[in-house]
Amino acid sequence: MAGVLIDPTRAPVAFGRRAVPQLFEELQRPETGRRRRALASLCDLVHDPERLYQTVNGGFLEQLKVLLTDEDPSLRAKTCDLLHLLTAHSVGRQALLSSSILPPLSQLLNDSSSSCRRNVHQVLNRLAQLPAGADALLTLVPKLMLKLREEEEEEEEVQVLLLSTLSCCSRLDALPALASDGVSLLQRKLSHRSTNVRREAAAAMMALSVPEDGKRQVCEEAVLPVLVDLLQDEDVEVQANAAGVIMYTVVITTGKQQCLDLDVVPVLLHLASKKKEEEEEEDVERRRRRKALVMYSLRALTALAEAPDGRRLLLEQLPLLVERSEAAEEDRDIRRAALTAVRVVTWTP
Amino acid sequence: MAFVSHSHRDPNGTYTFSSRPRPVENRSKYREPPSEQTHSNYGNIMYDRRVVRGNTYAQHIIPTTAQPDPAEIQRQQELRRRAIARKRAREEFRPKTPEALQGRKHIDVQTDLYLEELSDIIVATDIECQTDAFLDKPATPLFIPAKSGKDVETQIEEGELFDFDMEVQPVLEVLVGKTIEQSLVEVMEEEELASLRAQQRAFEELRNNELAEVHRLQEQERRHTEEKERRIAQQKEVLKKEKETAEKIAARAYTQQYLADLLPAVFTSLRSHGYFYDPVEKDIETNFFPWLMAEVNNSLQKRYAARELLDTIIHDVAQKRLERFKELETPAAKSDM
Repeated sequence: MAGVLIDPTRAPVAFGRRAVPQLFEELQRPETGRRRRALASLCDLVHDPERLYQTVNGGFLEQLKVLLTDEDPSLRAKTCDLLHLLTAHSVGRQALLSSSILPPLSQLLNDSSSSCRRNVHQVLNRLAQLPAGADALLTLVPKLMLKLREEEEEEEEVQVLLLSTLSCCSRLDALPALASDGVSLLQRKLSHRSTNVRREAAAAMMALSVPEDGKRQVCEEAVLPVLVDLLQDEDVEVQANAAGVIMYTVVITTGKQQCLDLDVVPVLLHLASKKKEEEEEEDVERRRRRKALVMYSLRALTALAEAPDGRRLLLEQLPLLVERSEAAEEDRDIRRAALTAVRVVTWTP
Repeated sequence: MAFVSHSHRDPNGTYTFSSRPRPVENRSKYREPPSEQTHSNYGNIMYDRRVVRGNTYAQHIIPTTAQPDPAEIQRQQELRRRAIARKRAREEFRPKTPEALQGRKHIDVQTDLYLEELSDIIVATDIECQTDAFLDKPATPLFIPAKSGKDVETQIEEGELFDFDMEVQPVLEVLVGKTIEQSLVEVMEEEELASLRAQQRAFEELRNNELAEVHRLQEQERRHTEEKERRIAQQKEVLKKEKETAEKIAARAYTQQYLADLLPAVFTSLRSHGYFYDPVEKDIETNFFPWLMAEVNNSLQKRYAARELLDTIIHDVAQKRLERFKELETPAAKSDM
């Protein structure tokens, strides 16, 4: 009776406070099977915030660091999974950042096992969503860009995670990514067949086009035609992100010129104007995403209205914008954006 | 004594005692309160009076588990009886020995028959004993108690002792409960993460908006300032040009005016300086008049020369006359005398 495990894939868990330390003691055993089971039990336990706190504060992260360099790939993958669960809570994230576990983790990016790599990307993605984490990952950005370049045939999930991490880091500081030729790399990803990849690539591009240099590069590399195509995409988020990139790029004069040449104004107007089905939109999530799209389009139009050609075009379409700025519009932000647009369009020197 | 023994209450509430092993101390028979030094003289256990020595069969100090034979038992019983009697007697004596009752007499009795003599000579007797050979004991008859009471039967039916559905309930509750608990925790975690993410996204969108607005305004500002600079520069150019033109016009007018009477002025000045001359007049002036003047001078010079000569002659004559007259006068005067 004592020797039979109820679940053969999990190690037995001690009661109360002893659970986590005892499992970590199990992890020090030389047999791989026992370690795997102990890791599986730990992964289950760590969902509970108290156990997570105990794990993080008990100084067990050093052991995890050792496990990351283990020979068995499934062990490494499971350890990364555990780290991924640790990053679900703020305490865990902070502990991971303050311990020196990032260098061995980044070594695992070149690991042979694909599940291990995927888990590492998941950990990095979660970490990047914290500003302090994004800061710590900035040094890794060139390596990540390299990975992105190599992984042409890699699974979509890993690409999505990579792109998401890159966009989070670039939101903090876009210069490392720009220096590693990010714009041209992302341009290729913009025409990927998968919606998720396109969405994340467009988001990363939006983060990259914030600094001046990025804007210039976007204009030079002729990314704008691709973006205009993306504006007609089916997914709202892809459209929103593409509108965001355009919004940033048309601030500089070259961008304005190119966009006006590409005749992007009617498309943007169509996106920004009120549609009947929008009023019936019940789902909060969808409405929020539409709101982002509308706001970005309005801002892009505002920037385009600075140029005389743009202003001329928009003066003809003024009623649409005015409609948006009416008091009937519930969303205050949209109303404000529309008012600014109207003001810029009707400005005379 | 130097804290070699510990007894304390454990934090869990149980009482524990522990002490280090130590040799028995040598103490005098009548103990004084133990001082610090006594623990250093360990008595030799061979010479300790408290340790039992020698033949222990005949010493009746502590009868242990050995089965005493009946004589011993009887004697012991007698002893006990006497002891009890003694005690009772002593107790009776305690207040005061009462007077003997009617027909009785108090006699002092010596219990020397029952006294034990402690001597070094141990009384020893050799006793042998031999067990009899075991006889076969007949089998004990089965003890069947007499029947009493009522006869009652009972039978356990199928399912009465153990009802699976009832027994399994707590186990099932625990299993399901734990599973649901775990899954609830996981779901809550995911929901929390999702809501955090949504909040972050909303913030990002607003931020992006405002950032774009800021960039646009910056750009606008830049363009406007550039434009303004250019216009100002242009304006300055224009002003400069205008000023230059005005100056040029003024200069031209002035020059014209100046040059207008330049010509007659020049002529007048030239004429006044004598650059336009009548050649005959000039010739007469340059040639004739100097010659004329020179001739006049000459002739006048001649006249002056002549006049001067005449003057000199006259002067000479006058002088001579004067001298002569003077000479004449003097002789005349002399002669008159």
